[in-house]
Amino acid sequence: MITLTINEKEVSLDKPVSVLEAARQAGIKIPTLCWHEALKPYGGCRLCVVEVERMPRLQTACTLMAADGMVVKTESETISKVRRGILELLLINHPLDCPYCDKAGECELQDLVNKYGPTVGRYKEEKRKVPESHKDQIFARNMERCVVCTRCVRMCNDQQGASAISIMGRGDHSRMEPFSAASFNCEYCGNCLTVCPVGAILSRLYMHSFRPWQVDSEVETICSYCGVGCSLVVQVRDDSIKRVIPKIGLGVNKGLLCSRGRFGYEYINSQDRLKTPLVRKNGVLEQSTWSEALDLVAERLSSIKKTEGGPAIAGIASPRCSNEDNYVFQKFIRMACGSNNIDSISRTGYAAAQKYFEELLGQGITTNMIEGLKNSEVIFVVGGDPTAVNPILGLSIREASRRGAKIIVLGNAKGLERFKTLQVVPPVFKDAEVLEQLLVSISNARGVRGEKLDVDKGIRALSDKNSGNMDIEGFEELKQALLNSPSTSIVFGMDLVQRTNGHRAIFAAAGLTYLLEARLYLLSDRPNEQGLIDAGCVPEMLPGGRPLNIHDFKRKFETEWGGPIPDEDGKTLFEIIEGAGKKSIKALYIMGENPVFNLPDGTYVKNALQSLDFLVVQDIFLTETARMADVVLPARGWTEKTGTYTNLERRIQLQKKAVNTASGMEDWKIISEISVKMGYKMAYSDAENIMDEIAMVSPLYRDLTYREIGKGNCLWPYHGEPLRGEIHELPAMVDTANVYNAEFYLTLEKPLFHSGTLSRRSPALMKICPEPTLKMSWAAAQKLGLQDGDRAQVLTAAGSSEAPVTIDDSIKDNKVLLSNNFEGKGLFDLLTYKLDPVTRAPGIEGCEVRIIKT
Amino acid sequence: MFNESVLKEIDEIKAKYPDRKSALLPSLYVAQREFGWLSHEAMECVSKALNVPEAMVRGTATFYSMYKHRPVGRHVIQLCTNVSCMILGAEKLVDFLGTRYGVQPNGTSRDSRFSLVIMECIGACGTAPAMLVDTDFFDNLSEKRIEEILEKYK
Repeated sequence: MITLTINEKEVSLDKPVSVLEAARQAGIKIPTLCWHEALKPYGGCRLCVVEVERMPRLQTACTLMAADGMVVKTESETISKVRRGILELLLINHPLDCPYCDKAGECELQDLVNKYGPTVGRYKEEKRKVPESHKDQIFARNMERCVVCTRCVRMCNDQQGASAISIMGRGDHSRMEPFSAASFNCEYCGNCLTVCPVGAILSRLYMHSFRPWQVDSEVETICSYCGVGCSLVVQVRDDSIKRVIPKIGLGVNKGLLCSRGRFGYEYINSQDRLKTPLVRKNGVLEQSTWSEALDLVAERLSSIKKTEGGPAIAGIASPRCSNEDNYVFQKFIRMACGSNNIDSISRTGYAAAQKYFEELLGQGITTNMIEGLKNSEVIFVVGGDPTAVNPILGLSIREASRRGAKIIVLGNAKGLERFKTLQVVPPVFKDAEVLEQLLVSISNARGVRGEKLDVDKGIRALSDKNSGNMDIEGFEELKQALLNSPSTSIVFGMDLVQRTNGHRAIFAAAGLTYLLEARLYLLSDRPNEQGLIDAGCVPEMLPGGRPLNIHDFKRKFETEWGGPIPDEDGKTLFEIIEGAGKKSIKALYIMGENPVFNLPDGTYVKNALQSLDFLVVQDIFLTETARMADVVLPARGWTEKTGTYTNLERRIQLQKKAVNTASGMEDWKIISEISVKMGYKMAYSDAENIMDEIAMVSPLYRDLTYREIGKGNCLWPYHGEPLRGEIHELPAMVDTANVYNAEFYLTLEKPLFHSGTLSRRSPALMKICPEPTLKMSWAAAQKLGLQDGDRAQVLTAAGSSEAPVTIDDSIKDNKVLLSNNFEGKGLFDLLTYKLDPVTRAPGIEGCEVRIIKT
Repeated sequence: MFNESVLKEIDEIKAKYPDRKSALLPSLYVAQREFGWLSHEAMECVSKALNVPEAMVRGTATFYSMYKHRPVGRHVIQLCTNVSCMILGAEKLVDFLGTRYGVQPNGTSRDSRFSLVIMECIGACGTAPAMLVDTDFFDNLSEKRIEEILEKYK
């Protein structure tokens, strides 16, 4: 125990901290400028100087560790004089343009000068003149105002790990600049904005549009983009969102944000938002009223149910909607429509992988705390770039690397280029085989574990079959690293699920998780993929992961819900689409999803949906899918409604309403009104009311209340109980001994700046990244005679597109990557899929492509 | 991109240091030698060769005055104009370089033959004025002597 005296107050500390931190704990504020709670102490600005007894000079409190018996004074005449002197020096160059500067009102320098003076400067030198730089689309950089505290640079280097900016020059000429000195061309996380104490770096999104003190309300909520569920603060004025800022220390992200979270909020005020229901009349979608539209949906669904039976109706739920929306939706499809055909886009990745992982290793195996990544000694990243799909999770991997962990990448991950210790590149599309070989060699070295007999059996079967003779550079090093690691994390991205042999990659990863006792993380690119599964929006499971085919569970829900749940097995997503094509599905209700754009083989999906008798789309935009609908129902979006979301760590969080301007209705409300019209009673007063019901029926969310969720740290209980049913016979592994010898293959890129429907309506994200790019290795570009920035035409058997070329040094094979985020320029229009026989996810590998310079 | 032999040289530099960042200064000298000055391209090459972020490379490079941040002539004259040299007429020599060779302080002659950098003391006060041409040292300068010396630098 360390006890010291600060300003005659005795302070006891549990653990060693700096004098500054000790003073803060005692409620004594020491002024600072270069210090920031999210950053390491720097000792640059000297404002935090204090007097310490028996020390000859003033000491900087931020860098001085508190010691037992220390006597500290934080305010005295000398100290005030020194602080005033420092500020006077800073003001030699800092312009007095506060009335014009966007930072005024929340500027640390302004506050400090207000408190310590000086009121008049004695220096007569001319101020440094540097014009404000608007060469970047997002950031305005004003180096006259910069006080060279280096907080932005330290944030960018030490926390974000982007290292995109640095202090250039020396002494009086020091200034913060990106490498190009113009555009930042960085990850655009904007975390430098969070830490800048003055107006040296500002966001151009809201420049000169309001003052910090004019904000009407601040709402702490969560982000709507990916499965991490970062906490953020929405500042509102006149019922419109002025900006999104993080709060240091808050939530899973602890105050760090990514580009999507920080700059991607403007879609909510987009002109394209749906305002009234639309009903197709004589082949054209026309504006309608709520009562007409809802009546029509209820009437048509009832009549199809009556004539064709419940199973002719299907529903596609949305991982962008809340737990409450999804719970009500699956209840509606099951009870009001009488069908178990309910699935979501999550089938293309997360839900497919999660189900198989859980069947193999038990419920909750994929949901680990992101924080745990930081404590891993080896992090094995497969199937995607975590820093792009789940940027904040990616930061934990970078943090682990800084702490000395080994980061091993199978395939490629651009965001980990400077952080990886080893990159193993499998032969093209042979990732699953490499993982299997790894599993076999590890099990040969370690032996099986003997806890899960079926998994052991599966590993043994693999050993018998797998000769392990693929010679891959770095394989031995990878194996040794995993064998010698006391604490391993496996980060599993969805690229490997979207293969016709995806189940083999999953089994191998599960086997590794099991043998190495590793933590497993699934990357999730939508905010509520876990919650959607928990809410029962999968064909085979009821809420809480209760398997539908276990009679007792089914009966319990039937009692709670007051009616029979249909017996027929439900269809998965692609079976629903194919069913529509084959006319066995007559009506489809889509909530918050855009399958025509977001599913591979867009043309096929479009044709299939065209054969439907009745299509309802409930969304916030008139998407490609909504344009085909018979009825379009405008929903509410992020910040317009309250609801809970469950992130990839199974953390349940509240997304709160912040504005009142929405013209749509909450998703659950639309559905419950239709349900009532169809004769199945749903009487919910609000989202909280629905959570009360979920808390009653779902074993995962048992006894949860909004009050409890609102406090944060609400993770669903996991006792290793196999609630979702364990597998007892491994599905036969399917041999896909395809030969891939084409020159180039086209595959999916998951970019950092875009998510699709939402991001392409966010002007800031469109400025950062206005169009898709074709990513390829340097070698591939050489071969094709292409240079970075050249435009090229992409030709596949299914179609063609055009995009500029970006050379990506992390790509080491003959894959060419294209994203699926831009209207009319998506990858999914260019390729076809084949379902994985086990996971029912679409395999999109092996798409041969020709690339021609234009 | 650096050619193979330069990359090998940088690898040798890397081997001398415990981490990549430590190899930055010597690698920047190599880049400067190869490109003549530290262009963005030169710094990008160093960044790639060392796997050190570009911004950090430039931040480090701009801190030191012995790196060149703009193209320089074939030969760099570094002339001292500090006290001793100044008293013994260094400023006249600056004018002379301007009229005779068309090179101004911090500038380059039109034929790209010379660049002129005004140096602070180079430790030759006893034999002032003094200058460096590239890495060669000359003292006791006069206009005539400068003309003789620079004859050798084409």
